[in-house]
Amino acid sequence: MNKLFPTQEIGSLAKPAWRVKAYRGETPSREEIVEAVEWGRILGLENLEALKKLLEKPEKTAEYRKAILQWSALYAIRFFEKAGLDIIFDGEQWRSEMYEHVIRNTEGFKFLGYVKSFDYRYFNKAACVGKPAYTKSFYVEEFVFTKNNTGKMIKVPFTGPYTLADWTFNEYYERKATAQIKDFRQRKSYARREFIFDLIKEVLRPEIGRLIEAGAKWIQIDEPAATTNPSNEEMQLFVEAFNETVKGFNCVFSLHNCYSNYKILAKYASQLRNCSQLALEFANRDATQTGVGETRIGYNELKIFEENGYQGNYGLGVVDVHTDFIEPPELVRDRILHAAKIVGNPNRIFVNPDCGLRTRKWEISFVKLRNMVVGAELARKALQ
Amino acid sequence: MIGCYVTGILPRPKDLIEITRAYDRNRTSKRELEEAFRKATEKVIEAQVQAGLSYVTDGMLKWQDLLRPFTENLEGLKAGSLARWFNNNTFYRKPVIVGPLHHAEGVVVKITYIELMPKNFLWKAVLPAPYTFAKLAENRFYKSERELMFAFAEVLNREVKSLSEAGFKYIQLSDPGLVYNPLEEDISKDKLADVKEALRITIKNTDARTCLQTFFGDFAKILPEALDFPVDDLGIDLYETDMKELKEHTFEKGVALGLIDARTSLVEDENEIVKVANEIVEAIYPSKMRDVFICPNCDLEFLPWERAEEKIRVIGRATKILERGYR
Repeated sequence: MNKLFPTQEIGSLAKPAWRVKAYRGETPSREEIVEAVEWGRILGLENLEALKKLLEKPEKTAEYRKAILQWSALYAIRFFEKAGLDIIFDGEQWRSEMYEHVIRNTEGFKFLGYVKSFDYRYFNKAACVGKPAYTKSFYVEEFVFTKNNTGKMIKVPFTGPYTLADWTFNEYYERKATAQIKDFRQRKSYARREFIFDLIKEVLRPEIGRLIEAGAKWIQIDEPAATTNPSNEEMQLFVEAFNETVKGFNCVFSLHNCYSNYKILAKYASQLRNCSQLALEFANRDATQTGVGETRIGYNELKIFEENGYQGNYGLGVVDVHTDFIEPPELVRDRILHAAKIVGNPNRIFVNPDCGLRTRKWEISFVKLRNMVVGAELARKALQ
Repeated sequence: MIGCYVTGILPRPKDLIEITRAYDRNRTSKRELEEAFRKATEKVIEAQVQAGLSYVTDGMLKWQDLLRPFTENLEGLKAGSLARWFNNNTFYRKPVIVGPLHHAEGVVVKITYIELMPKNFLWKAVLPAPYTFAKLAENRFYKSERELMFAFAEVLNREVKSLSEAGFKYIQLSDPGLVYNPLEEDISKDKLADVKEALRITIKNTDARTCLQTFFGDFAKILPEALDFPVDDLGIDLYETDMKELKEHTFEKGVALGLIDARTSLVEDENEIVKVANEIVEAIYPSKMRDVFICPNCDLEFLPWERAEEKIRVIGRATKILERGYR
């Protein structure tokens, strides 16, 4: 991209109520259908009567569900286009969630039920009970649909191996290692490696291959769990897993990681091969008044990446996805200019929200993204 | 004796999870929530009784995290932001220390289902150890983490007393922070001496049996100093501990062997557990054997309830086999 500070999204966008209900075979409320039509008009979508008809008469068939997914993906694509982003995807409208979507579509896993995340929040955790097997593609159809419906540059979010393994009980490999390794600690660590590298070889690389065949040019590996285990052994494992996943493919790769220990990640970032960009979360850590310099406390850790010799690009988080606070364009501008100063070369900076905007309402997400795009333009002007 | 127990927060059974989720979304009443907690507590107590555990806990189902009863009820602190619970995909609320720690009488006794505890069994309670608490808190008041640790130890001492008065015979102090050390920063002898002193304050003047339960890290790293800690038993996470190193030390205290892995759903084979337990016992008690407890390596809350229940049964069965060998 020859433009300075290209703007991009990270991944998920909230699923509209009409999408959730219709997908389950339930009829959305009148208000929800009206909302669908209103957003459709704002986004300039055609043939909204057809969608309205679909929503009024839900069916519990695969074709119906597919039609709903396509509509909702189309909405998200136009949403990002209308906000003015340069690099987009479909807000992950085809996916139930970043973890479940992959696990449910891969053999060798069984969901065991909910475990506590915090307070009264839980997540559905699976166990690996057999060798993971790739029986069907889980991202390609979504990618092809996106490609056929936008002229913008596409970046495909792709859940990474380290996170998939870290969020899964490792029954199969631990059982397998029982006979070989007596020591419990060594057994667990050996089984973990086996699991991760099988997952890469048997499932993730085949899917990447198919995505590239279908025309994918840029894949973003999402690894929220990257620094969960900050020991050197585990961080090396994470790096090896990334490198093995992307090795040898003719495609651009990048990494997204957020709400993590960046002091740790920074130490290892330069070991990631074929990683053109690190998309990181900073706005969440930052003050909200405008200004360049000391005010920008949220961006301090950017320095650590530089000090540790990371030379790739940054996807700079300039919009906080956990609050309804609307970042003014001037704040976005100052965050970008501040980061550009730290990094030295402004060409290394792409601009994005901290993470997917899944937890925000569309109205909020839209204004946040719009301001982000305007803020990036202000930053460009300031540097001209 | 050879005994067994669980070592912390148990997972919420499915029905309770559903009610808590509904409550979180304002779809059910506080009364229904309370009723569900009671029912689930009865269930998890019964599972421990059925499995033949030597000490029974109330399951701590209400505990949102190990520190929360204190974070929410002590004076001098407030609840801060969410933070990762060691290297788990689970989060706790950071206690922010803003004034002198002061206890409102018996914080833990108040949230424990004492009326549901089985009459003819020995009761066990679990508290955060002073070191872990001080390490995980955000200290904006005390001069140092050390000072905070000692202040919290005083608070804990009153907790220990109130639990003991309520009928608890065994008090476990959970101390993951003492051994979780992924960056391998050395823990100094001075620091371990402070930990020892804080433990002494915590359990002074109590009749209850006490245990320092370490997990998520290598217990061998705090040896030999830990052998002198003023507790009755030392708890060890055998999925994180260098077993070879451990076996080179001689113990004169009881041990709680964390041989059941609460962070994997794979259910252990009791015969293997017994075999490994025997090897450890032989190595650390070359002349005089002390009390040995078989237990999970950490809180079972990382598992869905059904799997935790299966593991509780394995603990009971393994303990019986082990016991037969020493009769």
